[in-house]
Amino acid sequence: MNRAVATVGRDLGRILEALGGLMLLSLVVPLVWGEYFALPALLVAAIVPLGIGRVLYRRFEDAEAPGRFHGMIVAASGWFSVGVFGALPFLLVAWSVQLGVPGFTAPAQTATLAAFTEPLNAVFESMSGFTGTGLTMTDNEEVLPQTLQWWRTFTEWVGGVGVIVLTTAILSRPGSGSLTLYESEARSKKIHPSIVSTVRTIWWIFILFTFVSILALWLAGMPIWGAINHGMTGLATGGFSITDNSIATYDSVAIDFVLLPVMLLGSIAFPVHYLILQGDLRNIYTDLQTRWVFGYMGIGSALLWAFLYFGGPYETPFAALRYGLFQFVSAATCTGFQTAVDATNVALGKWPSHAQLTVAFGMFVGGAAGSTAGGIKLIRGLTLAKGIRHQIADVFYPESAVRRLEINGRRLNEEAASREFMEAAIIVVLWIAFLVVGTFLLLVTLPSGEYSLANALFEVASAQGNVGLSSGITGPDSLPTVGKIAFLFHMWIGRLEIIPVLVMLRTVFKRGGLYR
Amino acid sequence: MKPRDLPVVSAVFEAGADDRVFDSLLLVGPLIIGLIAVFGRSLATAAVAIAYITVFVGYTLYRGVRT
Repeated sequence: MNRAVATVGRDLGRILEALGGLMLLSLVVPLVWGEYFALPALLVAAIVPLGIGRVLYRRFEDAEAPGRFHGMIVAASGWFSVGVFGALPFLLVAWSVQLGVPGFTAPAQTATLAAFTEPLNAVFESMSGFTGTGLTMTDNEEVLPQTLQWWRTFTEWVGGVGVIVLTTAILSRPGSGSLTLYESEARSKKIHPSIVSTVRTIWWIFILFTFVSILALWLAGMPIWGAINHGMTGLATGGFSITDNSIATYDSVAIDFVLLPVMLLGSIAFPVHYLILQGDLRNIYTDLQTRWVFGYMGIGSALLWAFLYFGGPYETPFAALRYGLFQFVSAATCTGFQTAVDATNVALGKWPSHAQLTVAFGMFVGGAAGSTAGGIKLIRGLTLAKGIRHQIADVFYPESAVRRLEINGRRLNEEAASREFMEAAIIVVLWIAFLVVGTFLLLVTLPSGEYSLANALFEVASAQGNVGLSSGITGPDSLPTVGKIAFLFHMWIGRLEIIPVLVMLRTVFKRGGLYR
Repeated sequence: MKPRDLPVVSAVFEAGADDRVFDSLLLVGPLIIGLIAVFGRSLATAAVAIAYITVFVGYTLYRGVRT
């Protein structure tokens, strides 16, 4: 047996076991809500990944620890598998309602739930959840069974921290293998020398913040079920809602403003949270990314406010501030909650193009690396900006001058600076390349004349940045099949920062003999 | 037998924050949310929720000032 297959198979098995465990845990929800018709579906959905995971793990238990290459394959295939198997609850619950379950009373089928009888829609929802994107195949989330409302929320909450972080925390396996996997999931900075301690610390911080977020939202006036779901998806910067019009449903200034710090917490790196909770508050301004989370959100929101008030659809400065601030923070933290809808004010898709592009730029950059946010990440944007300035300034110095590039308190020599600049540039170039290709593909497949270039660019940036704001293209009927498949790919590469997926695809195509 | 030797409590203390206040908040959090789910919105449940957030924010700031 190929050693790489054994290593990947063993770790993939662990991830699938963890996924099955999450589904078993979710059995509590149909019991509490009295949705007994969903129990068999959820149980079967849990048994499938649990069984396959168990078989894989048993078969390859003695495989070698993963190297960098294996780590990337595990991360890419693990996230893909989680997206596929995570669709089972949607698919099976929808079919349970469609066909009825003997011995159980099922509610009447709705168009929203019926959309999940299509496997592609179910996989789309699952991938959108686990990657923390928040684009949805539902027309009206309110009519979904609470079991599925919970499963959507839970996928985003777990996916925000990371499937591998979860697996490492639960099925702890100390050693270099876990570190490699941890790094393959778009994380690099450790909190403790031990990787198991690091992921457990990430989890207790995340759980504590979740409780605080839920209670704050409830105090702001949200019903407790809404507070639980939106607290979890807000902190995970996922953006799934249990209401038809996202956060606009509540039309509450208090809820809008309470969600701002919740989303911001999600976009700050966990190591910084840890230091702040240890009493080192200086990190709020000494850490480069955290400083820029606030600076960048402030500048972006101010710009958007100006566009919306002076040239746009809002008549009062406060309305422009309320909706502009919320939408920019929601976009730049890659959450995707929406308050700008036609039901209460002016829909995001009807904002002036320059305002929409400002929001799209927020989605492109995203939050801090090591947080739950997506996008290219602030540190890459800053590395690129500083690197370009460094290169240009180089012309004004004598050739013999020894210069250092300073990033986040680190003084990098010429070689290290070039390496970091190159790494950031590769990700950004790939990100833009896939954005352009995806936009082109979407425009080709959409009905002609129905959506503008700005709409299509916005939607693809939203999927790839794992944001979830929509200009109205995404939906079970409005998005063509090719578009759905393309968006699955965009969400997948966006969550893993592209490289692991490309490594996996190259391995499959080359070693699988497809282009030899 | 000490409270921290109980099954769930010991797991939280072992994998948690290594800090008595944060560990307690981790343990009490789900209970408060459960309390709110059962009893709904009232002065008492609101007071408990406010107390929870106040302890969290106050303690974080206290640690910051002390350090």
